[in-house]
Amino acid sequence: MNNDINKTLEKTKKQLRRGVLELCVLSIISEKAAYPSDIIVKLEEAKMIVVEGTLYPLLTRLKNDDLLAYNWQESNSGPPRKYYHLTEKGIDFLSQLKNAWDELLVGVSISTNHLKNPENDLSIIN
Amino acid sequence: MTYQLSTKKTINSLNDILSDQQNDTKMKKTININLGGYPFTIDDDAYEHLKEYLDALRQHFQTYESADEIISDIESGTAEILNTRLENRTIISRSDIQAAIARMGTPEDFGAETRFEEDMNYGKSNTSNNKYKTGKRLYINPEDKVIGGVCSGLTAYFGIADPVWLRIGFAILGFGSVGVFIPIYIILMIILPEPKTAAQKLEMRGEPIDVNSIARVVEEGIEGISNTITQITDEFTKKKK
Repeated sequence: MNNDINKTLEKTKKQLRRGVLELCVLSIISEKAAYPSDIIVKLEEAKMIVVEGTLYPLLTRLKNDDLLAYNWQESNSGPPRKYYHLTEKGIDFLSQLKNAWDELLVGVSISTNHLKNPENDLSIIN
Repeated sequence: MTYQLSTKKTINSLNDILSDQQNDTKMKKTININLGGYPFTIDDDAYEHLKEYLDALRQHFQTYESADEIISDIESGTAEILNTRLENRTIISRSDIQAAIARMGTPEDFGAETRFEEDMNYGKSNTSNNKYKTGKRLYINPEDKVIGGVCSGLTAYFGIADPVWLRIGFAILGFGSVGVFIPIYIILMIILPEPKTAAQKLEMRGEPIDVNSIARVVEEGIEGISNTITQITDEFTKKKK
């Protein structure tokens, strides 16, 4: 039974992460043009990604949606790499997405505020 | 007694260790490959493992928009992981591939993580579910033919229950039209392709192509072969008698 709950928890956590992965990727790229390995390192630091393979379909989709574009750049240690940067449309999209995220943060903290209240604290029940 | 047993066990585990080492060091064929622009020398078995993995990915991403691009990006990513892993070694072993796969993730890992991607991608390609529907295509059906399989191919295309009705129709038209329909039949026989792969056989019937339906066609094929074998053996035994 406890196992089931852990499984569900893992799944829900994954879903939460996945929903905001796009925001994180766009935001990392907006700071500085980046190639996939750079992005992966940052996402790993932030514990936002579990396997690298998840990133490539996302980048391709964002590129197909004209939010990202890439240039080929020579590298010292191997073949040329794809460096991604935001397009005009991407910059606009990111700022709107960030606004939406901020609103969501406020909404979530209002909805979960009572959990901080000691009488209702779930961690005490557990 | 106990002592003996335990030594036996030790010997066994020693053997295990030895055979493991042998697996690592025994003579192996290597292959030179170009993965994502990096040249690699790779053990034969490691190559097979990598190939299986990439094939599985191709299968997983085949319904995506720009699947080829995703795969080639993943190949470059994998190459980079392998390159950093190798450092001063020169040959990629199976364990390198396993480590790279663990980092890159398998389709099962993506299954949970990229479902969102799939949803976004499916929206674009106008498919509503996990199967990608094929347009029906007209083939001749070599598995069920009287002359050229044209009638049974047409039957599959239009979803008619039994090719016999079309055959009767063609026969009547063939005689009735005094030779106009016979060339038509012959032309159809020449221009319609024969379904070669399991996927094309499904296309002939207008069925969605997915792993299950392909498996079914392949099974049917195997059954067909075993039926033929039984027939041959039957004939053979008859002849003997």
